[in-house]
Amino acid sequence: MACCSFPSVPGHNEATSNMANAVIEIRNLSKIYRDFWGRKKVQAVKSLSMDVMQGEVFGLLGPNGSGKTTTMKMLLGLLFPTSGEMTILGKPASDVSKNERIGYLPEESYLYRFLNADETLDFYGRLFNMTAAERARRSDELIELVGLGKARRRQLKEYSKGMTRRIGLAQALINNPDLVLLDEPTSGLDPIGTREMKDLIVQLKAQGKTVVMCSHQLADVQDVCDRIAVLFQGELKVLGRVDELLELRNETQIRTGSLSDAAIADVRAALAKHNVTNVEISRPRADLEQLFLRTVRESTERPGRRFSTEEVSASAGTGRS
Amino acid sequence: MDFDIRPYDFVAALRGWLLISAGLAAVSLAIAFLLSVARNGAAGLKIFTSGLRSYISDTATVSLRRVLAVSRLTLLEAVRRKALLVFVIFSILLMFAGWFIADANERPELQVQVHVTFLLKSIAWLMLPAVIFLSCWSIPEDIRLRSLHTVVTKPVRRVEIVLGRVLGLSVVFLFVLAAMGAVGQLWLSRRIPENAKAALQCRVPMFGELYFLNAEGQPGNVGINVGDVYAFRSHIQGNSRARGVFVFPKFDESALTVNAEGAQELLLECRFEAFRTVKGSEQSVKKGIQAQYTLMSNPREEAFMMFAQSEVLKPTAEAFRNAEFRNAAELLKGVAGRIRTNPQELRPADYVAMYNAMDNASSVLDSRKDQGLGDLAKIFLAARDASLPIPELMARQDAGQRVEIPWEALAAAVDAVADSVLKFSPALLENLPRLEVPLPAFHVSEYHGGDDATVNLTRIPRTLRFVASDEVLARFLADTTATWNAEGKLVENGALRATLVDDLVAQSKISRLNAERLAVVLGEELAAGKLTIADGKLTLPESGSWFVFYRDLISLQRLISEDSEGWLIEKDLVNDLAKEGYLRVEVACVDDQMYLGMARPDLFVRKADRPFWVGYWKAMAGIACMLLLLVVLCVTVSCLVKGNIALFFAMTFWIVGQFYEFIMRKLSGLEKGMGSFESAVLLAQHRNPEVGMDVSSTTMKVVQAGDKSLEGILWVFSRGVPDFKVFSRATTFVENRFDVPFWDVVLPCIAVLGGFLIPCVLIAGALLKFRELELK
Repeated sequence: MACCSFPSVPGHNEATSNMANAVIEIRNLSKIYRDFWGRKKVQAVKSLSMDVMQGEVFGLLGPNGSGKTTTMKMLLGLLFPTSGEMTILGKPASDVSKNERIGYLPEESYLYRFLNADETLDFYGRLFNMTAAERARRSDELIELVGLGKARRRQLKEYSKGMTRRIGLAQALINNPDLVLLDEPTSGLDPIGTREMKDLIVQLKAQGKTVVMCSHQLADVQDVCDRIAVLFQGELKVLGRVDELLELRNETQIRTGSLSDAAIADVRAALAKHNVTNVEISRPRADLEQLFLRTVRESTERPGRRFSTEEVSASAGTGRS
Repeated sequence: MDFDIRPYDFVAALRGWLLISAGLAAVSLAIAFLLSVARNGAAGLKIFTSGLRSYISDTATVSLRRVLAVSRLTLLEAVRRKALLVFVIFSILLMFAGWFIADANERPELQVQVHVTFLLKSIAWLMLPAVIFLSCWSIPEDIRLRSLHTVVTKPVRRVEIVLGRVLGLSVVFLFVLAAMGAVGQLWLSRRIPENAKAALQCRVPMFGELYFLNAEGQPGNVGINVGDVYAFRSHIQGNSRARGVFVFPKFDESALTVNAEGAQELLLECRFEAFRTVKGSEQSVKKGIQAQYTLMSNPREEAFMMFAQSEVLKPTAEAFRNAEFRNAAELLKGVAGRIRTNPQELRPADYVAMYNAMDNASSVLDSRKDQGLGDLAKIFLAARDASLPIPELMARQDAGQRVEIPWEALAAAVDAVADSVLKFSPALLENLPRLEVPLPAFHVSEYHGGDDATVNLTRIPRTLRFVASDEVLARFLADTTATWNAEGKLVENGALRATLVDDLVAQSKISRLNAERLAVVLGEELAAGKLTIADGKLTLPESGSWFVFYRDLISLQRLISEDSEGWLIEKDLVNDLAKEGYLRVEVACVDDQMYLGMARPDLFVRKADRPFWVGYWKAMAGIACMLLLLVVLCVTVSCLVKGNIALFFAMTFWIVGQFYEFIMRKLSGLEKGMGSFESAVLLAQHRNPEVGMDVSSTTMKVVQAGDKSLEGILWVFSRGVPDFKVFSRATTFVENRFDVPFWDVVLPCIAVLGGFLIPCVLIAGALLKFRELELK
């Protein structure tokens, strides 16, 4: 397997080292797409081996066509591997009974558009052989959780994309799963929805659940994932903890309150004594997400008011919502 | 359409189904295994076994709750996607249909037929596309929109999805069908004109078996061919001994109906065809030709009629028929003598007839073992066995082979039969009585067959009063004398009872003049010493038979009727005429130079009618089974291919299924005609089938091999295609105002549906399970 300058090298050794806690085990998984006549079209996944540990949030990253969605669909039994083995929650991927402990949110929320939110959750609840009372209780909880209380009687065909993602998430959690597979969970969501989704993922982790997500939104992945795997052209290129992978070992960052120009000059002088010349001192910036969330929050509290640039700048970095 | 459905052999059908299912399973497993090995090499076996284990496990752990969840979803989908609009179209159709199909001038039966046909056909034809389209696109749309992908990530077995879809669609269509049926019932009851409402009947027919007697009284399976629908109807010659003999087995009191006066009666309904050989007046043509029923109980005829198949044995048959057993024995002796002296004088066909006659006689006599005829049956059986090898040995001899034909053994066996007939003649006379009740003649319309055939309904009272023939009269008087004698009702104070005439009139229902005549004759016989009185009873000398006593009196014309109407006596239809458990009706054509055509379904006993709506809803059940089968087929195919392809497959199944009967006839060789390749060659060569192809022997072999291959494909098709005609049979019954026999018409519909449902669901479950849903 090709290696690069990243500190962590993917491979079988790490995959097998934590077998005791592994929720998903993948060994030498390959998938070749063939045409009608059985001729090879493309190899989507090549000898993939990795584990996902219990209680972690795991991100599958990669550009389009890298094989991350194919891998997830093989885990769910929507596609069959050409070779290799997979176990999920200790059962083979082809064993349908494994699904009793799995929740899955597809990339697009592929739901029955003629049903309303209540009926949707009731239908999926029935598929888990849940009792009527249990279904009703769980539906109420989840509709409350995803914030669709006012739209629960409307057919899904009338829902916006964000609402559809929310009901999709609700159906994925109907069985209170131990393992949640999320395919592009923040796709189609506004920043608030995205924040809520990320909070929910963190919350799921706090409950001891395992979350596996595919996403192009690297910031989202960075925010919530404990470990990630990066696939490229069907091959695993990177696998490791996010903190370790993103740590810049040859740089140091010092963060303080606002400094005067004299203080800045003193800092530069002090660093020069240690032969540190490549020093960059500037005011840090909040990210756009923080700005957006704060604006929405303030606007909700004080409607009709417009914020000046100074106000925005002064309050930047006052914390996340 | 033949409404005389042969009994449905459910056990044979089940056996066939098991065989075909086992074959299908074996073939499917073999194909799956080969595919697995071809794709995965050595690992193929492991993948195949684990897949099979997983499939069996899935099928064994089907959850009803999940199945119901999917079916509930299907139901909601159909309602919300407005699939039930078909019902609205139906209602609109019915609203305006009455304008075009009502014709109050038509015969009531035809009006009923037109309305019922229109209604049932509309329902079936409107439902058909709705069923096919919805079922074919149900799962493929789920796959296309990927809503199924979310479903299968839950713990749902694929077979549960199939079952849920089939169940849901079935409930939807059954609901629509029931609604259409209810609206249709309302529409029929309001639309059919008042004058035709009485024809809303549900006749319950009881069909019999038919054989023919020709003008010489010889039995046969077919009558005369007059060149008109010969394959279906045979004709009997007018004013001759030719008869159509209908035998209704299992005839008992339940076959009778109760008329308006509360009396039991037998209804015989016929639709014979009249065939005229001479041009008559317009009036006579309109009137039709005359036919006559004779109700018979004739065990002698049944036992010995086969003797008439041979010219040599025909006089013997005649003697048996007339109860002249001594004569019959002598004739048989003569036949035995001819076999000894000049056996070749008899043709092989005579020996075949002899075999058939002995076989038939032995089986009828054997059924009367309790009447002391069992030993006689064995003698006939021995003669049958002796005649068995003769025709074949004669053929071999004719072919130049040197064979020894056991003529002496056969002659001895026939002699033994003759001796035994003589010995058993009193028992035969006693136990093989002939009772015949001729009924008044009626006219049969000369319209030819089809729906225009005039239906004749004959009402026959249970108690029959008729002019007795000599034998019937002799038996009647013998039975009456024996019974009354035993009860001490004939003799009083050493002489005939003074009130004998009054008693006979009151209890035996004979006319006073004839009763007086009987009393006079009995008195004369007493006086002449041919009868005596002992122990208060009339006694015959030497324990003679009362039947023989009266038969002799009748033959001496001592008991000629004093009444101008003749000897009218009464007999009970069930207890006297059908006491053997069956009813025999002989049909004769009365008019000279005319012919009467008939087939097995042309005469039936009409039992008490059922309410029309019983048959109507049975027809609905037939339509429902057809629609459900289509649901099953469409869903199954759609698990493998896209909706439009599934539609093509489903339509192919449906169309080919319409010709199922033809396919089976073709495969069994009953359907005449050549194969496609041979026909093509004949077309190209401008030659007809009689002449045949003008090709070399090699080409001939190639063409025939091609046709054989096509026949093989047809054979495979016949094992996998349902007989769709079976479902419309119930409809045809109702259209023609017949009750739909449940066991023979409705049960086959259910059986065909069930027979396809189980394998189709299993196949569909497998197709869906081993299909990569995300594969582009």
